[in-house]
Amino acid sequence: MNRTFPARTLVQRNTTPILLAALLLFITIVAEMLGINLIVRIVTVMFTSLILVLGLQLFMGNSGILSFAHIGFMGIGAYASVLFSMTPQAKQLSIPSLYPLLVPIHLPFWAAVLMGALVAALVAAVVSYPLMRLSDAAAVITTFALLVIIHVILVHWDRITNGPRTLFGVDNYTDLWTSALVSMLAIFLVYFFKESRVGLRLRATRDDAYAAASIGINMVSMRWLAFTASAFLAGLGGGLWAHFITSFSPYAFYLTETFVILAMLVVGGPYSVSGAVVGTLVVTAVREGLRGIENYLNIAQVFPQGVYGFTEVVLSIALILILIYRPSGIMGSRELRWTGFGRMKNAPEEALQAAEDAKETSAKGTSAKETSAKGASHV
Amino acid sequence: MLVLKEVHARYGAITALRGVSIEVKEGELVALLGVNGAGKSTLLGTIAGILRPWQGSIHFQNQAIVGKTPEQITRLGIALVPEGRDIFPSLTTEENLRLGAFTRKDRSEYRRDLEEMFSLFPVLGERRGQLGGTLSGGEQQQLAIARALMSHPKLLMLDEPSLGLAPALVDQIFELVARLHRSGVTILLVEQNVDRSLAIVDRAYLLNTGSIEMSGTPAVLRTHADIEGIYMGDRRRNLSAER
Amino acid sequence: MINFEFIVNTLSLGSLYAMLALGLVIIYGILRLVNFAYGELVMIGGYTLYLLTGFTPLPWVAIALFAVLVSMFTSLGTELVAFRPVREKSLTAMLITSFAVSTLLQNGALLIISPRARAVRLPQIFSESVRIAGADVPWRNILTIVVSLVMLGLLSLLLRRTTLGIALRAAADNFRMTRMLGVPANTVISTAFAISGIMAGVVSIFWIGRSASVTPTIGLPPLLVAFVATVIGGMRSLVGAVVGGYVYAIIISLLGVFLPQTLLDFREAFMFGIVILILLFRPEGLIRSKTSVERIG
Repeated sequence: MNRTFPARTLVQRNTTPILLAALLLFITIVAEMLGINLIVRIVTVMFTSLILVLGLQLFMGNSGILSFAHIGFMGIGAYASVLFSMTPQAKQLSIPSLYPLLVPIHLPFWAAVLMGALVAALVAAVVSYPLMRLSDAAAVITTFALLVIIHVILVHWDRITNGPRTLFGVDNYTDLWTSALVSMLAIFLVYFFKESRVGLRLRATRDDAYAAASIGINMVSMRWLAFTASAFLAGLGGGLWAHFITSFSPYAFYLTETFVILAMLVVGGPYSVSGAVVGTLVVTAVREGLRGIENYLNIAQVFPQGVYGFTEVVLSIALILILIYRPSGIMGSRELRWTGFGRMKNAPEEALQAAEDAKETSAKGTSAKETSAKGASHV
Repeated sequence: MLVLKEVHARYGAITALRGVSIEVKEGELVALLGVNGAGKSTLLGTIAGILRPWQGSIHFQNQAIVGKTPEQITRLGIALVPEGRDIFPSLTTEENLRLGAFTRKDRSEYRRDLEEMFSLFPVLGERRGQLGGTLSGGEQQQLAIARALMSHPKLLMLDEPSLGLAPALVDQIFELVARLHRSGVTILLVEQNVDRSLAIVDRAYLLNTGSIEMSGTPAVLRTHADIEGIYMGDRRRNLSAER
Repeated sequence: MINFEFIVNTLSLGSLYAMLALGLVIIYGILRLVNFAYGELVMIGGYTLYLLTGFTPLPWVAIALFAVLVSMFTSLGTELVAFRPVREKSLTAMLITSFAVSTLLQNGALLIISPRARAVRLPQIFSESVRIAGADVPWRNILTIVVSLVMLGLLSLLLRRTTLGIALRAAADNFRMTRMLGVPANTVISTAFAISGIMAGVVSIFWIGRSASVTPTIGLPPLLVAFVATVIGGMRSLVGAVVGGYVYAIIISLLGVFLPQTLLDFREAFMFGIVILILLFRPEGLIRSKTSVERIG
């Protein structure tokens, strides 16, 4: 047997986040070197979206529950971070009716964004615990309800958000390297959550709730932890995005954005961190490409009434096709791995992957829905 | 009428059936016996088309039925009364029965059969307008069987009809099954109640962890099969009986 | 002011909400699917009204009928193309699919027609009122109530008298057993989607009848209404859905009368808070039903 150094083994077994971060680094360097303003903007925003997609992956991939509330927490993070980062004068200009208590608060950029994320996580923690015992349709509806509630509050709570009107005057603190760095950190966070004991237990509940309960896994607590963590990431992404776009309204945090983030996750594959990254890259590329076509068609007046919504039409068709033909996304359930470290193969992971594949194919052989073991009541 | 050859089936990740071969001839009353988890329900589910075997063949009246949907198999004349009865709680007794006649070509003649069912099962007649969910366990069992009969099945499969019923009702159910048999219905009966089953059937199969341990007439089974051993999970005996 | 006019208004709103809830529940009962694309069926109905009133000389009754048919066929189309292939996979896949279909339809309308609101020519009678009991009651409201009662009656007949209807109710109880009785799954599901589309189509007539214009995003408010009304009524029962619709309309109308303007804006948040509470503590809805059926979630 080869003599193995503990550190080397650690790296060998966890090449995924390193690979993904390296990929992001590569993209960042290329964008920087190209120097084209549009590309830098696209990549910067892409990284903030990636943080959101990663947050969604953390919850959805591990718990198996579709959460619609995610973008709501992005909004909370965005507004909170802005309230912390803007100067008192700027705040009084942008949000005339702001609560006097909130006016003097002024934190440096990093602290403000962090606080924004914490506020989002706090709200999630307080609100979500009772919801975590629900499953299936009930879980989806309640998270959707959460999104609506957050949206309505953001739109109507003038004294904090300036209501439905656009909030101006946010400083542009987020640049290419900032968002790149944070998204790389997010990758490590989400990956190690997945590989942690909490992540493992949560996935056990995803695969078989009854079996997991019978070995003492507290499903509700596990889900709650994941939900709070994912809200933190959503708030983080929201804060970063707010300080890039410098002006926004509550309508940026509703169903349209939800669709995009969801599409990114599903296209890439909701069950792996690599899926989140790949999906974000692919969808961003497709989207920007289509948008370019749309703009060209509009400027050239090819169609008199203008071409709008073309991008979304193509994206939604693509999403439907993926769900029909490859529901586990581009990555399947796999992570990107580097197995080239000499003779040490990632044997345990490969066996695990093989077992997962076998389960998938056997589930296709016997119709998955029909063989539900729940007896008379059907799922 | 029904022939299974070397059927292997999985239930989730568990191999539930290993090389099962059974046969049911027309007019017979055949029992599938075995403990919980032996694979009896899986076998019925495989015949009915809910589960698809990954190996082996199933022929019904010389027609291969592996791969057909449950709807198609029902239309061929196989009716399954599942464990747990699965009657429709928010439909009335009459509506439950009416739906049972769905596959019949002369569906609109169902009223005639309704009266027949009510004479066969008087208690159902009393409750014809009541919702299925308000019926007692025994009544629901009768309803489930009557509903299956409404389709005039060529083969009736019953999955543990006596499960969870009071002893007096258990008597009734077995008597009913025997009576149906006498009137010419071909029946495949899955049961845990060995004694009662052997008393009324033509033949029986003994299923143990997914494979047929033994088969034959009641007389043969009573003398040769160590039924007690199987039920008590006698490991010693199972190991030494390698054939 | 709670007067006769208010009552008729509320009843008319309740009729609309009841139909909305029905169209959503009928699919949920069988497939456990919350169809996010449901609101877009109302939008499609609205755009049909716009196109036919704007570009054809057809009489309004015919146009209204067309709108209902188009909604129905759109619903059937989405089932055939998008939902049927993912049905066997998982509930989550179906939910995401419905969300994707919703986005597709919305942006399709945006693309093909316009992102701007389009005016719809309404029939004369929608702007007329009749004097009853000393109040000016819009004909539109009376029509809403009458039409919805007719629709409810027809649906009830279908579900109670016809074999297909009984099969639908059975499928909502136990889909697998229904199939095992030989009822084709596709027939049942397609019928449910068709009914859903018809309900949405009828609603679109009177929904557009209130605003006289249609936009690509007009499907969201009806969807939200359907959600709330359905949850109030307990998601499994058709009767519950109808009652839920009326109850929701009453609550909304009363809130509109008694709540100060500042709080009124948060009305929707309040209602969805109630939705969460119901799903947490009383998932069978606020309406008691005759049989206790096993619930999930």
